[in-house]
Amino acid sequence: MTDEIGINQLKRRDFLRAGLVFGAGAAGLAAGYAAVPDAFARAVYAAKQEGITNDHVLVMIQLAGGNDGLRTLVPLADPVLHDLRPKLAGSMVSQALPLNKSYGLNHNLPGIKALWDKGKVAIVQGVGYPNPTFSHFESIRIWETGDPTRRQVDGWLGRTLAQAYDSNGHPLTGCACGATDVPGALRDLQATMTVIQNQKTFGFTGGSEVEAAVGALYKGTPGIYGALFDTAIATATETVATLRTSSTGYQAMADYTDNVKLVYSSKNQLAAALQLAAQLIVTGTGVKLLHVTLGGFDTHYTELSRHDDLMGYLDSAVSAFYKDLAAHGKADKVLIATWSEFGRRPKENASGGTDHGAAAPLLLIGDPAKGGLYGEEPSLTALDGTGNLKYAVDFRSVYQEILSGHLGADSKGILGAGFDTVHFLKSPVSAA
Amino acid sequence: MAAAPPARQGITRRQALSAAVAAGVGVGAVRLLGGALQNLGRTGTVVASGNSGGDWVSPLGSESARVMHLLRRATFGYTPAQLDSALSEGFSRTVDRLIETHPAEPPVLAEASTPGGRFPVAQMQQWWIDHMLATPTPFAERMTLFWHGHFTSDYRKAGDNTFMFWQNLTWRRMGMTDLRSMLMKVTTDPAMLRYLDLATSVASNPNENYSRELMELFSMGPGNYSEEDVRQGALALTGWQLPRPDSFDTVTVGAKTRRLPVYDSQKSGVFNPRRGYSGSVTFLGQIGRLDAEGVVDRILAQPATAPFIAGRVAQQFINGRPSASLTTSLGDAFRRSHYDLKTLMKALFTSDDFKAASSYRSLVKSPTEFMVHTARALGGPHPSKLIATSGAGMGQILFDPPDVGGWPNNESWISSNTVIERVNFVTAALAQARGSLPSAAYAATHHLDGVVGAQTAALFNQAADERAQWFIVLASPEFQLK
Repeated sequence: MTDEIGINQLKRRDFLRAGLVFGAGAAGLAAGYAAVPDAFARAVYAAKQEGITNDHVLVMIQLAGGNDGLRTLVPLADPVLHDLRPKLAGSMVSQALPLNKSYGLNHNLPGIKALWDKGKVAIVQGVGYPNPTFSHFESIRIWETGDPTRRQVDGWLGRTLAQAYDSNGHPLTGCACGATDVPGALRDLQATMTVIQNQKTFGFTGGSEVEAAVGALYKGTPGIYGALFDTAIATATETVATLRTSSTGYQAMADYTDNVKLVYSSKNQLAAALQLAAQLIVTGTGVKLLHVTLGGFDTHYTELSRHDDLMGYLDSAVSAFYKDLAAHGKADKVLIATWSEFGRRPKENASGGTDHGAAAPLLLIGDPAKGGLYGEEPSLTALDGTGNLKYAVDFRSVYQEILSGHLGADSKGILGAGFDTVHFLKSPVSAA
Repeated sequence: MAAAPPARQGITRRQALSAAVAAGVGVGAVRLLGGALQNLGRTGTVVASGNSGGDWVSPLGSESARVMHLLRRATFGYTPAQLDSALSEGFSRTVDRLIETHPAEPPVLAEASTPGGRFPVAQMQQWWIDHMLATPTPFAERMTLFWHGHFTSDYRKAGDNTFMFWQNLTWRRMGMTDLRSMLMKVTTDPAMLRYLDLATSVASNPNENYSRELMELFSMGPGNYSEEDVRQGALALTGWQLPRPDSFDTVTVGAKTRRLPVYDSQKSGVFNPRRGYSGSVTFLGQIGRLDAEGVVDRILAQPATAPFIAGRVAQQFINGRPSASLTTSLGDAFRRSHYDLKTLMKALFTSDDFKAASSYRSLVKSPTEFMVHTARALGGPHPSKLIATSGAGMGQILFDPPDVGGWPNNESWISSNTVIERVNFVTAALAQARGSLPSAAYAATHHLDGVVGAQTAALFNQAADERAQWFIVLASPEFQLK
């Protein structure tokens, strides 16, 4: 009898956990979030794995809402653009910062253009995946997990943390800056990661006494959320201590400002988040995978001014970040990559905006990038059945190059397969 | 803790805590005494329940524990008086009262008549928190928050805080009516017309934003419609515009003069046939002319709709992953009742799943629920301003959801950032609660059901004073759950 109850309990726990991991599918997506596994390893600091020894860092910038690729990397000489976008095309073409005869950067990206001129910006064109979904949440999930079949539940950076690093021993290995919850890309059942919304307020009021009490309170917490709670508190305590040392050893060497003009205010403080990222990198905290978000790219409406403003914000924040890293002698270690769940429809709508699209360019910025245009120019005359740009480069080709070429990780182990290569790195540490 | 007076009896707080930590290691699983309310001695000793790392021992076999479980989920927790009244009514009558009582209207928000709705959102956030704390019908506020996260809009894009204010009044008044009325109302709600761009969608070139989210997030769920349905739905939904203002007010802001709309009363969007599409569409399998009402009716005719809404509600009130059989049976009852929300919520609260042991503490309180429950438990003056300003670091800003999916829940409320913010809120709330506090022993039995983990029990028992005990109760993992 006792045994039977025990077995039943065991099964139920396994079932619950399995349910949490695999059962979140449509419901989780519909609710607008990816499933978070509850059962982080209970012995948070026990697991040890052999990590990768290079000191490269990856910073992913999520342009949330679906960034308009045609307004980021602007086709300069395609007359079809003006037919598709009578309201939006004119100024974006005439003001663009030319990279060559065919393409120019959005006119509000002068800082990134200056880095392009120095050969530090790689742009991969036409990035997407087969049979695109136009749902924000489904497509975000696909990009976060690196799996268009939607079977994978862990994030691609989370799997990297779990497979390549000792994140359980060093929870700052993976860090989301400027957020309150773990971005889907960083989630993994077997990994630990840190979330810091605002460094200034990241700490227990009441100091070490409160910290000690809370640390004692959250140990062996029962229930399905127990391990997640205990891990969060342990990570918080560890990170508070790290930041205490780190903040005294860092002086910003660039002007970060979040006081930028936007059509309506941003939910994310991109510059502050990148400044925190710079501090973590510069002071040698061991951070490897950083994630920041800039929202507001779902430009169904009055895109002209909204998108230009967002480009300007991105440009000033990234420029300050690069300048700061360079002044601290870390620019050669850090690769910055943008991602967005989809591009936007080539044809504009009646609201002076664009609806959800498919393929779009990705920007890879920093000393590790080999400047230039990659991928394939998307055709405005050969749109797919939904009126969207066809993809030419699978987004996992970009992930693969980042993982193997920049971080030196086993990209095939993490992504589950090999993909066509796009050689956008100056000196990749290993081939895919 | 910072607010606590010096520790007594020659032992410092830190020593007490270390002792508690040491004691915690040795404390085995102690099963709770029979009832949920009898495990405290007069000295306020708490007995641990639920083995370290195991499951909570569900007390839901007892009527009183079921009542507390219900109030935590349906009403943002409770004051002792609210709990006493529900305990004397019992579970079933409390369910009926919650569902059948007409929602109390909040006090007038004077700022809402500011031209252009240009008043600080913080005033509206505090106004709502105040009403959550003061209302005699807190279930209506819980449902208003649910609908705010479901039919979501944010003040930034709505661009007029008066529109957001109206939307809040609407969800309170309609929160327990029926899905058809709500879908019609949300389609022409001024804040929504702005938020998902329907106000600028015209027949010659429709904007798909609202059509897509109406089906994906508001009614049917992904996978139950095609991209063509999104486009055809967008066509059928064209022509709606913001309501015409009753007058305009000229306001000078710096060097600029602006003409701002003034509304004498709450209004819905208006249909302009010159902007609308009057032809035939093929939408969800049928061909014909269709207006907004027709779009809603066709959505309601889809088998996916009832279980989808039932699932969304069950996720918020039962557990994070409701079983398929539960969403099917709730969905069946919902559809049979012509999408009556009272029927749905009554079926949910009286379901076996609601009181199953596996539902006990299976949900994480949202930041708003956690903070409002804290204030109710502590009593005293309402810390509305503290609550209104503390949600951001925990991931919830009222009138400003992260995206059109509303707020994520449960696991997403737990990160290194949010746990610090929750603990800091407790410290601040205790600092604001001047004078003598209610009994912490009462809190352990009535807000934590007397079902606590070994660490919580050990720290509670070794806390130096009542204030420190309150800190342990409110900062505990038990109190973060519902």
